[in-house]
Amino acid sequence: MESKHIIGLLVHNHPGVLLRVTSLITRRGFNIDSLTVSPAGIEGYSRMTIRINDDSQVEQFINQMMKIVDVKKAEVLPETASVASELMLVKVRTDHASRNDIIDVTSAYHASLVNIGENSLTFRASGTPSQLDILVRELSVYGILELARTGIAALETGDKCLADE
Amino acid sequence: MLLNGSEIIAECLLEQGVDTVFGYPGGAVLNIYDALYKYSDRITHILSAHEQGAAHAADGYARTTGKCGVVIATSGPGATNLVTGIATAFMDSIPLVAITGNVTNDLLARDSFQEVDICGITLPVTKHNFIVKDVKDLANVIRKAFKIAMSGRKGPVLIDIPKDVTGAKFEYEPVKPETVENELLSQEADFIMAADIIKRAKKPMIYMGGGVVSADAEKELLAFAEKIDCPVATSVMGLGGFPSSHRLFMGTIGMHGGYETGKATDNCDLIITAGARFSDRVAGDREKFGKDAAIIQLDIDKAEINKNVRIDCCILGDLKDTLKKLSDNLEEMKHPEWVAQVEEWGKNSEVTETPESDCYAHPYHIIEEVRKLTNDEDIIVTDVGQHQMWVSQKYRFEKPRTWCTSGGLGTMGYGLGAAVGSAVAHPERRVVLFTGDGSFHMNLNELATVRSYNLPIVVVVMNNTVLGMVRQWQKLFYGRRFSQTDPHRKTDFAAVAEAFGIKGMVIHNDDEVSEVLAKAFEGTEPVVIDCKISPDENVLPMIPPGKTVDEMITEME
Repeated sequence: MESKHIIGLLVHNHPGVLLRVTSLITRRGFNIDSLTVSPAGIEGYSRMTIRINDDSQVEQFINQMMKIVDVKKAEVLPETASVASELMLVKVRTDHASRNDIIDVTSAYHASLVNIGENSLTFRASGTPSQLDILVRELSVYGILELARTGIAALETGDKCLADE
Repeated sequence: MLLNGSEIIAECLLEQGVDTVFGYPGGAVLNIYDALYKYSDRITHILSAHEQGAAHAADGYARTTGKCGVVIATSGPGATNLVTGIATAFMDSIPLVAITGNVTNDLLARDSFQEVDICGITLPVTKHNFIVKDVKDLANVIRKAFKIAMSGRKGPVLIDIPKDVTGAKFEYEPVKPETVENELLSQEADFIMAADIIKRAKKPMIYMGGGVVSADAEKELLAFAEKIDCPVATSVMGLGGFPSSHRLFMGTIGMHGGYETGKATDNCDLIITAGARFSDRVAGDREKFGKDAAIIQLDIDKAEINKNVRIDCCILGDLKDTLKKLSDNLEEMKHPEWVAQVEEWGKNSEVTETPESDCYAHPYHIIEEVRKLTNDEDIIVTDVGQHQMWVSQKYRFEKPRTWCTSGGLGTMGYGLGAAVGSAVAHPERRVVLFTGDGSFHMNLNELATVRSYNLPIVVVVMNNTVLGMVRQWQKLFYGRRFSQTDPHRKTDFAAVAEAFGIKGMVIHNDDEVSEVLAKAFEGTEPVVIDCKISPDENVLPMIPPGKTVDEMITEME
């Protein structure tokens, strides 16, 4: 699973650029499981972070993305030299018996309790996608009522930046 | 100077060297047409019968001149009618700028009369598209659109302009257009590597495509092929990019290519691909295509590398530069045995002409007779289907940009519009449209345009009364169940032509071919010739889809 590739895209912040990227993904049959868009910290640009599932598609993915006029840069973030992180909100079903167990589990993942309902607890957790996957699996024993994840944000470590020539 | 948006459009077209546009007026482009009225001494507008015809005309204009074609249409249906034309240009990498009007800014997104999201619709079939909501952006968008259309791998760009923008005033300053310089993306090492592979090859072949024509690299390719003494096969799109009469020319490659190109592909030890993309009609079996060969690919589009076929070495850049640079890295080579072997295969691949029946004219005969009446500069246009393949097999092209066909999208109904565009671009040349009765039925409305502008187009309708190519597949792969391929039409094409004010002629059988054609080519008036051919003619040889030359069909009952 960790062989999935994370790709950073630097795009012009023009209307419709998200559509251009997603339309291409659909049209060319690229298999992705996460796509996030955010400001890039550079005036006029946004950053997209996309995780692609199929090794064999990576080269075409980059080449095709670079043909979109509004895409300035598309690069694979090296697996061993990148940080990837995601935020999750999760609402777990609780009763008196399970409450403490759930709090134990979530605190092991540094998730913070953000809301207490009558029969539920809502946590905020962040971490690598796979850490969150494991937390979800552990919590599913108790019953997950709702779940929202932001998708992956990722940066290459060290001084190198996506915008570098 | 202070101009309105429409005048800015006209000025920007002039900046780009545009003197001819194709189009059709309508409500949302009234302002633009008002400006065209004012600029009519400097910009010629060719009015089509239907927006699709205008789009194909702009495409034919672009293919035969190397310039960017321009087409204008109104909002809503005007814009959607362009879509097939834009998609046709996109698949064949033909530079177009399509300008559509739209409803005013305050009516956008309200499902207003004749409103359509043409940017959304054309997103997958354009290199890029724009909607210009503010007149201050207009001039720069138009400049950018031309640059995008003409640079790198060429293609269509659409500009959608709300009506109020074409009426609004803004300060205009002329800007000299940027010259398109395609960056050489490959390093010296890539050329050395490619040259090393070529030096080692004993049995090389070149597989060229439309990119050679698009890059105007025919001279460079010829010099390269001669220097390394290497047989050349072409995709249908590449025809004209290498002289058919040359000793190294093998003909087209792929589904309806010759036996020798198929054999060469399977037996060569190196394929040098120039401006071609290994489409399914060329590399039917992607795994087995050139299975014993190394593959070098020269292209301007990096996304073509390893897209359909895995390659060993690529060179990215403008073919005009890369072919020359690669040549410079090589000494003269000779491959006499290999070239002789290919020639030998070529002898076997001469398709014997056995007319289906004496009652009909034979397609190859018609094409050969037309060739005798045309010179190397004359422009050949086709529609899509059997006639298109017969022409691609048989017509001897000697010069680039004398050939218009919808290679990638396979657009039936493309031909007449494209012929109009070609004839407008080259009033001094003859334009011959080969079409079929199926294709011609789709867009023969443009005969009205041919008459209005008195364009010297000879339309050769290969009339077999059936939808021949689909019927051929039904014959081969669907147990002769001829579902909906015999429309039982009684159309008299000569009479149709006469109704449009164009001379109509008929060829009933092989004996009449040369005489009728000679008459048709006498003057410079447009003429439509209804050529009766057998419904049972097939396009042979044929490599079935997904297969190789080993399974080539050379005979059908």
